[in-house]
Amino acid sequence: MTLRQRSAIFVLLLLFQTGVAFAVQNYDLKEMTPAVQQAIEGRKARFAQLQQLKRAGSIGEGNKGYVEALGTLSGAEQSVAAENQDRQAIYQAIADQNQLGAEGLAEIQRIFAEVQRGKAQAGDLIQLPMGEWIKKG
Amino acid sequence: MKIICYVFLAVFAVGCTVKAVGDPNRPITINANIVVDIRGLKKTAVGIEDMVSGGAQP
Repeated sequence: MTLRQRSAIFVLLLLFQTGVAFAVQNYDLKEMTPAVQQAIEGRKARFAQLQQLKRAGSIGEGNKGYVEALGTLSGAEQSVAAENQDRQAIYQAIADQNQLGAEGLAEIQRIFAEVQRGKAQAGDLIQLPMGEWIKKG
Repeated sequence: MKIICYVFLAVFAVGCTVKAVGDPNRPITINANIVVDIRGLKKTAVGIEDMVSGGAQP
C-alpha cells in the first residue's frame, strides 16, 4: 500500500469519525413558479424608483439581503416593504426548492447581500457583513 | 499495515468521545456539517439581480 493510499484511508476515517458530511451540489432556482415570477417582475418595476431613493440616501442595501429605509423621505417605507416582500419570496423559493431549511435561508440572504453590495453604485449606502453602514466608494 | 491499525485505533479512541453538557430535558439537535456550494448560490444570485436590474452595472 502506497503512502497516498494510506493517507486517503486516514482522511476518510477521520471524516467518518468526526461526522462531517459533504453535500456538494448546485443550489439554484429550480422552478420559476408564478410567485417567484411575480416577485421578480415586481422588483424590476420598482428598480428605477429604488435607485432614486438610494441616490438620495434614503435607503441602503442591508447585510441580510434586504433594503432598509435610512432617511426620512416619505414613500420610502412603502417601497422598502414591497421590495423586501418580493426578495423574501425569492429567497424562500430557493431555500424550499433546494431543501436548505432555515440555516440555508440565512446563507442565501447573506450571498444575495454580497451580490447586492457588489452591484451597488458608488455613493450608495451599504451595510458591511459586520453591520457597519458605509457609503460605497 | 501496522501503522494504519494504530491510526485507526487512535482516531477511534479520540473521535468517539462525545460529551453533552446541558439540561437533559432540552434535547440538543446536532446536524451534520453540510458544505453548501457557495459558487452555485452566488451564480444564482448574480443571475437574479442582473435580471432585476436589466444588466445595469455599478
